[in-house]
Amino acid sequence: MKSHVLGIDFGSTTAKVVILDEDGNTVASCVSQKGAVSDEGVRAALRGAFEQAGINLSAVVRVVSTGYGRRMLDIADRTITEITCHARGARALVPEARLVIDIGGQDSKVIALDRNGLVARFAMNDRCAAGTGKFLEVLARAVNVELDDMGAEALKAEETVAITSMCATFAETEVISLLAEGRPKQVILAGVHQSIASRTVGLVGRVGKHDPIVMTGGVAQNIAAVHFLGKALETRLIIPTGAQIAGALGAALFALDDLRSASKVKRDDDDAVEGKLEQLLADPQRCTPACGKKETPVTFKA
Amino acid sequence: MSAIITPEQRILGAEPPIAKKANRLQATKLNNQMVNAYWEDLFRAKEEGRLVCWTEGIQLNPILQAADIAWCHGEAAAALLAARKESAAPQAHMETLGYDRELCSYARTHIGCGVMNQSSTVEAQTLLNVDARTLGSRIPAPDMIISAYPFCSTGQQWDNELYRTFGKKVPIFNISMDWVWGNKSSAKYMSGPEFREKVAFLKKQLQDCVRFIEGITGKPYDWDRLSEIMKYTKRAAELRLEAMRLCKARPSPASFFEWTNSIAPVNFLPGGPEIVHYFEQKKAEIESRIAQGIGSVPVEKYRLWWDGIMNWNKIGWLSDKFAGYDACMVAGRYTHMGFWQEPQVIDLRDPLDGMAQNYITCPISISAPQVIEKIIEHCEYYEIDGLILHGARTCRAFSYPQYMIADAVGKRLGLPVAMFEGDMVDETFYKDEVVSSRVEAMLEAIDASRARMR
Amino acid sequence: MNTVLDKFAQAAQRPYEHVKAWKQERGVKAVGTLPMHFPAEIIHATGALPVIVQEMPDAITSGGGAMYPFFCGYTRSIVDQVTEDQLGFLDAIMFTDHCVQLLSAADVIRISRPETTIHFHQLIASLRQPWSLESSVKTLRELVADLEEVLGVVVTEEALRHSISVFNENRRLIRDLYQMRRTGQIQLRASQMQHIVKSSMVMDKETHNALLRELIASLKTSTAPRSDTVAIYVSGHLCHAPRPEILDLIEECGATIVDDDLYTGYRYVSTDVDAGIGDPIVALATAYIRKNDNVPCPTRIDPEVDWEEWLLGAVDRCGAQGLVVLLVKFCEPHYFAYPRIKAAFERNDVPHLMIETEHDGVAMENVRTKVESFVEMIKVQRAARAVAA
Ligand code: SF4
Ligand code: SF4
Repeated sequence: MKSHVLGIDFGSTTAKVVILDEDGNTVASCVSQKGAVSDEGVRAALRGAFEQAGINLSAVVRVVSTGYGRRMLDIADRTITEITCHARGARALVPEARLVIDIGGQDSKVIALDRNGLVARFAMNDRCAAGTGKFLEVLARAVNVELDDMGAEALKAEETVAITSMCATFAETEVISLLAEGRPKQVILAGVHQSIASRTVGLVGRVGKHDPIVMTGGVAQNIAAVHFLGKALETRLIIPTGAQIAGALGAALFALDDLRSASKVKRDDDDAVEGKLEQLLADPQRCTPACGKKETPVTFKA
Repeated sequence: MSAIITPEQRILGAEPPIAKKANRLQATKLNNQMVNAYWEDLFRAKEEGRLVCWTEGIQLNPILQAADIAWCHGEAAAALLAARKESAAPQAHMETLGYDRELCSYARTHIGCGVMNQSSTVEAQTLLNVDARTLGSRIPAPDMIISAYPFCSTGQQWDNELYRTFGKKVPIFNISMDWVWGNKSSAKYMSGPEFREKVAFLKKQLQDCVRFIEGITGKPYDWDRLSEIMKYTKRAAELRLEAMRLCKARPSPASFFEWTNSIAPVNFLPGGPEIVHYFEQKKAEIESRIAQGIGSVPVEKYRLWWDGIMNWNKIGWLSDKFAGYDACMVAGRYTHMGFWQEPQVIDLRDPLDGMAQNYITCPISISAPQVIEKIIEHCEYYEIDGLILHGARTCRAFSYPQYMIADAVGKRLGLPVAMFEGDMVDETFYKDEVVSSRVEAMLEAIDASRARMR
Repeated sequence: MNTVLDKFAQAAQRPYEHVKAWKQERGVKAVGTLPMHFPAEIIHATGALPVIVQEMPDAITSGGGAMYPFFCGYTRSIVDQVTEDQLGFLDAIMFTDHCVQLLSAADVIRISRPETTIHFHQLIASLRQPWSLESSVKTLRELVADLEEVLGVVVTEEALRHSISVFNENRRLIRDLYQMRRTGQIQLRASQMQHIVKSSMVMDKETHNALLRELIASLKTSTAPRSDTVAIYVSGHLCHAPRPEILDLIEECGATIVDDDLYTGYRYVSTDVDAGIGDPIVALATAYIRKNDNVPCPTRIDPEVDWEEWLLGAVDRCGAQGLVVLLVKFCEPHYFAYPRIKAAFERNDVPHLMIETEHDGVAMENVRTKVESFVEMIKVQRAARAVAA
């Protein structure tokens, strides 16, 4: 039986799992939307991934975790930050990438890669939700549009309006008063996306613009965000298939490195991974169904 | 400290429509013409072989004018850009370079111009993506920088940044303006040994500055010309103050916003008969309004004081907004306490001493206890009903005493206040919804106290 | 070892309790000073205890009604301490430094508590004018005369000279610690270094010197090799201590802080006063004017010194592999300087990371992710270079 490695990205609103075999082929990638950080979400993503891969828990011998909840998972052999992992994952998906823009639920980051694909510089938002998925979420609610539809709606607008507040709370009041003035929803939404784009351009400015640019993270699924950001950066953004799982993929690749460098010396606690996974998945308290959204396993060169 | 006359203001996207319009003075048009002429002249300075000096803060222009040096006053440049809706470009450049948005927006805008200037070369333009046609990049690069900022260290550092932005190649003269803190009770507004000492120190540095100028121009300084220029400046300042004092009338014939639109002649326009003529016109127009009982706002129900530096992005719009509330902004700290505010002490035979005294008593150069006394004097004189405290977020020099001002006028004059945040040239800090609710609450408080009196 | 370190930590964590106890025990006066360049030797020479007013971690309460939230944490904190009546034990407050936010806070303090004696003697901020030294001497003489009047004492030249030598010794001992730490001879954590320096700002200097000597004697025996962490230089925080939790966090993420230019760090001990200059006031003024050569201060105007270039050298000298800039939110002098630091480090390919700190707390998880990524980045680059070589 082949050995496998697992990368898990425990984000603020989603959990993502990627499983690779020892040759570097993706055998599973799964995303679970579970609201706030929860190990329920993690369990769901793990179940989904194992189902998809059709392997036993014991086949996985190395686990690397990333994302905000990375240190909450004792199944991981080690943790690596989402910056390092996203860079690695994005680079695997798009080998020529020189800049990675990742906008997630709670944070946004811009990572510049050097010619060898290593992280050269990075910038990350501070505590505030400005320029993150959260910002979009709050304002979608204010305008009363489904989060998934807001991008398409925004693109219908023929003009935009400036949303000057960076803070989500203030922007919300601003949006409400624009609605009160009778501005069309689409126009306001266009403004909202433009605002997120200009925040991101600010982050890009901190590390310097390098083409080609790859965009990953949940917000990469939002067509208006991609449109306005591309316009603001005067470039076409590359959204690879599997953009959402780039972090988990990066983590899995680091796990693969670990496996390969350690293969000479067989670690005596390889079984420990299985035990921990079992424990996590068999938690009798909660019975979690597998995740609803299995991504088609992405292909790339490991 | 700053100033510029704005051309007609455009209403910004997110601003709600306004019902009433303020009744603008005709003379202001003349001011706008002078201001436009000044900038056009400055834009041509290099072609005409004149030296250009960049300076901020106090009004050093007469000193430069006497030496035939053209000047760019940093705050004026920033305000001009804001009024013409062109401040976003230099501000964005600065952000890309890593300058934080919480930094003085005047400085950010002006240094942004410096960067644009420096980058007028083709390769720099492609690098920075600068559009050479913008107003900011038309401001000619400096041949010298004179730094003389009252109280605010940010002003001094702003000059230092300019110096570094231009690769330390442009000579800079650093004047240190001490703050009159008042360790001893003998320290009073414009008097006492501490004040005299600080004035003497400043005067000495101004003399050294003149030697610095002589070193650059290679010509002996024309002191007679300085006296001549100061004659006009002094007269213009006197007329301005007289005209202001007339606004004690009810309804007030002119507003704080009009005075804001008349800062340029006493802040950075060349001293000459034009600025005297301008204030003569303005004063005459005010007198005729008083004779006819015409007010600055259609209905004057409330008389207000504007405390804080001006919000240049919003000046025309705010003036209409308050007219809509039947409120006249009669006076303010920015306009009524600064800009050659004590012309009588200027002795034309030896103007530097009086100039130094004016520089050191501008509204950010005097400390809070004196600021408060002066504001109370003004509020009593103009029969003010309430105070608007505009806390310019990135001008801490101007905003810091506002809680104390609010407290003092509340306790001593029983006046209500409305405090809100904004900024001088970064419009992203202004939240109209917040402003409206605070202002309305204050006006209601005035109504309530009037009802009690009845 | 570490009763001595505990003593430093206690004084640093509860500075005012320490001062109050000292006053009571010794029956001396205590004079508060504000950052950044106040020559506390002068207060020492009067016999009073000089105390640098510290930022306190407490949430801003009544002070929030006296100062806008867009001022730096230090100034908001000291205003709050005053409106919360926590500084009443100080017999006077004196300050000499020009930063608009500091002056603003002082003015707010004066108005909020008119009974406080708070005096300002402005040291010229522009350091390279022909008259900079003369002006500083004049200011310091005025300060001495004022202190004599406020405290009702006479300051002799002899007392000043003695104070200068006590302070010089304090600085030298702390610099020795820094040197041993740089070379890896001793392994004090950054938060421990902060306790040492911060306690020096509020403790009687002779007592502090004795404790330092004791500490150094106890430390010299231990010489464990430096572990395989990434060596980091920390820069910033011009007027107050960064929260020790942040320094600890950096060191928990696989980094070791080996040197710094923090105010509650090396900056505070960088410059001795030349005892060879006959007139002690001239000596103090000279030290002030020259301080920038040792550690540049962005609140001073000095065309001859570039903080960014100096920092590149400092990072190199201590063998650090990266720079972490701790930038106090709303600190304008630092906001002005940072872009040049950033540009210089990028130009020279030296990794750097900026972390903005706030009085009201920082998002620790966010900071942890940044620092861990930074350390991972340096390690990966280091490994790549090793492979290439
Ligand atoms: S903060 Fe205000 S006073 Fe200071 S330099 Fe800027 S505009 Fe001038
Ligand atoms: S230098 Fe910075 S930290 Fe110090 S008082 Fe000024 S703004 Fe605050």
